[in-house]
Amino acid sequence: MSYPAHVTDAAYRYDGSFKGFLCCVFESYANREIPSAVLPPDQGQLTLFGVKEIATDPARAQRVARGLDRLGGDAKDCVTTGFLSQQQEKDLILLRFVRRCFAYGPGATQMLGDPDVAAAFEVQRSVNNEAGKLIEFLRFEQRGTMLGAVIHPKNRVLPLLRAHFCSRLPDEDFLIFDATHGVAMLRQNRAVQYLPMERYEPEPDAAELDWQTLWKRFFKALTIEERRNAKCQMNHVQKRFWQDMCEMQPDFARAKGAGV
Amino acid sequence: MDLAEKLEILADSAKYDVACTSSGVDRPGRHGALGCCAAPGICHAFTPDGRCVSLLKVLYSNACSYDCSYCVNRRTNDRPRATFTPRELAELTIGFYRRNYIEGLFLSSAVLGSPDTTMERMIEALRILREEYRFNGYIHAKTIPGADPQLVRRIGLLADRLSVNIELPSESSLSLLAPDKKKQAILKPMGQIAVQSAQSKRELAVYRNAPAFAPAGQSTQMIIGATPETDRHIMALTEGLYKKYTLKRVFYSAYLPVVGDSRLPALSTPPPLLREHRLYQADWLLRYYHFSAGELLTEEEPNFDPYLDPKCTWAVRHPAFFPVEVNAAPLETLLRVPGIGPKSALRIVTARRANRLGLAELKRMGVVVKRAQYFITCGGSAAARGNRQEIASALLDPRAFAVGMHQLSLDDFVAKPLPCAAPALQKLAAGGVEARTAAQAVRQEALGCLTQRM
Repeated sequence: MSYPAHVTDAAYRYDGSFKGFLCCVFESYANREIPSAVLPPDQGQLTLFGVKEIATDPARAQRVARGLDRLGGDAKDCVTTGFLSQQQEKDLILLRFVRRCFAYGPGATQMLGDPDVAAAFEVQRSVNNEAGKLIEFLRFEQRGTMLGAVIHPKNRVLPLLRAHFCSRLPDEDFLIFDATHGVAMLRQNRAVQYLPMERYEPEPDAAELDWQTLWKRFFKALTIEERRNAKCQMNHVQKRFWQDMCEMQPDFARAKGAGV
Repeated sequence: MDLAEKLEILADSAKYDVACTSSGVDRPGRHGALGCCAAPGICHAFTPDGRCVSLLKVLYSNACSYDCSYCVNRRTNDRPRATFTPRELAELTIGFYRRNYIEGLFLSSAVLGSPDTTMERMIEALRILREEYRFNGYIHAKTIPGADPQLVRRIGLLADRLSVNIELPSESSLSLLAPDKKKQAILKPMGQIAVQSAQSKRELAVYRNAPAFAPAGQSTQMIIGATPETDRHIMALTEGLYKKYTLKRVFYSAYLPVVGDSRLPALSTPPPLLREHRLYQADWLLRYYHFSAGELLTEEEPNFDPYLDPKCTWAVRHPAFFPVEVNAAPLETLLRVPGIGPKSALRIVTARRANRLGLAELKRMGVVVKRAQYFITCGGSAAARGNRQEIASALLDPRAFAVGMHQLSLDDFVAKPLPCAAPALQKLAAGGVEARTAAQAVRQEALGCLTQRM
């Protein structure tokens, strides 16, 4: 069944939640239109034409969510992962992708040459890539009674780190603080919760700094000077990750605003 | 000697070992143990030489009783010596692992007295780590050539991956430079590991709790450029190893002169990094692209072209194979197109079920068309047209002509050829020609040659 729709000039504004986004999808079908933009509340964009406020209605969201379930894992993964992206316009890209999926069925995820599908996969890929990098480059420190890590990701990747670190440290409590978005993932007594957070206390202690020194000495000893290739290093570890990696800090700078 | 100093000495001694991957085994975490393994492997840091640090790569000891002339740890070399105790090693591994610095342990060792005693001490260290510290992460262990098969069996039950270093690409080089190591002593444990690993895999398929012997398989490494073997010889050897011993990886390490010896290249010789890179490219062609060693090099051309990657070289030599129709060609054929890798090929095969693919669709899917466009047709029409020179220019590998700032000292801002640049360029620049001019001259010449050949 096809649902014809025309592209309107109006933009949708929703509350920024995933349910809110699903309601935008609902609205788009109800009015047989594709909005010119889908805006979360913090994105103030000047538009010449009207902005339509979309109220979040759990019942409507539920209906769309059930539809997504029917489309199978790939499509659902793409939407849920893509939604973690902080890229501008990701909402519109995902809305068009969802419409494409509902029109063509589960096979739509294989239409990689299609502009809407390709754009959505690009968003998903960039989120997954960042999460993958953080699984590699995140550094835990013993802070107080548990392990803690600070990261500065572009996207809200915490949910994508959860499974890996829970499997890696099955009996430990740990906390990962996303300093960019002010959210922390806390795992305590084998349960995980996400908490808003502004500052990370307590600081790592002296014993922890000894471990870091040990690691740095190891890291330095492994380097073969004759093969030095800074560009290759940067290709693998982009500079934006360096701030949270202890071996990338110059030796004197451990006192860096360690609080964050 | 404190632990930090020991770690520094033993990591420094281990740094020339190249095999440092944590791939090949999927093992989720479980309560009561620490750690998990992911089959693709995870890199945790990259040193300034651009190599990944995935495992805590150390020697158990560097007090060696052998005297291999290419090796820094040989008996007659004057350098600080250290040996871990099993507890120290376990504490270090656990401490680093919890902090997400590493994926596990890479344990090798110099020969302490005899191969058997060395292996016994390594086994003890790994046993403590696995059984007392309940470490469930990745362990890569080197077997010492000449050790008893029983010991190899025991270490294989503790480690995920085993490796035996083949060291040099031929027996004559081995007897010349490493008189204490024998070809048979290297190949015998390799054969044993291959047989027992396969057997363990069969048992695991039937009994879930059967003991796993080296579940991530085995690998090996050899030194390139210390001895006169050709690339063709090395590729044939590599292919043989993959087929006969079902190795997971063969690693190459460009020879870095660490000692002056009349049988070895002079101390001033730069490491043949570009050659190493070409060998790795060819190695990938063997493992992921369905190429065979015989196709890549011929008797007349026994070495890889420094200016062209091996796949392009093959493509230039086989014009009749192209163009390839992206909407119809099977996966193996797509994989032979320069610029299309396993990921792109799979995407093409998936996407063409839904739509017909044109050049725009390919670009949208993330296929890099710079080189590929001259070798494919989309729906019967050529994706791009170019004269011979344009095509040759797209094919040349920019890495061979790379010039850039090489900041070893703070006041050195003169552009130089990068370490991986072609030897001809290095030589020209060393002769006093300005780096960019030299790169341009070398590129012009390579371009001319390639255009002629096509």
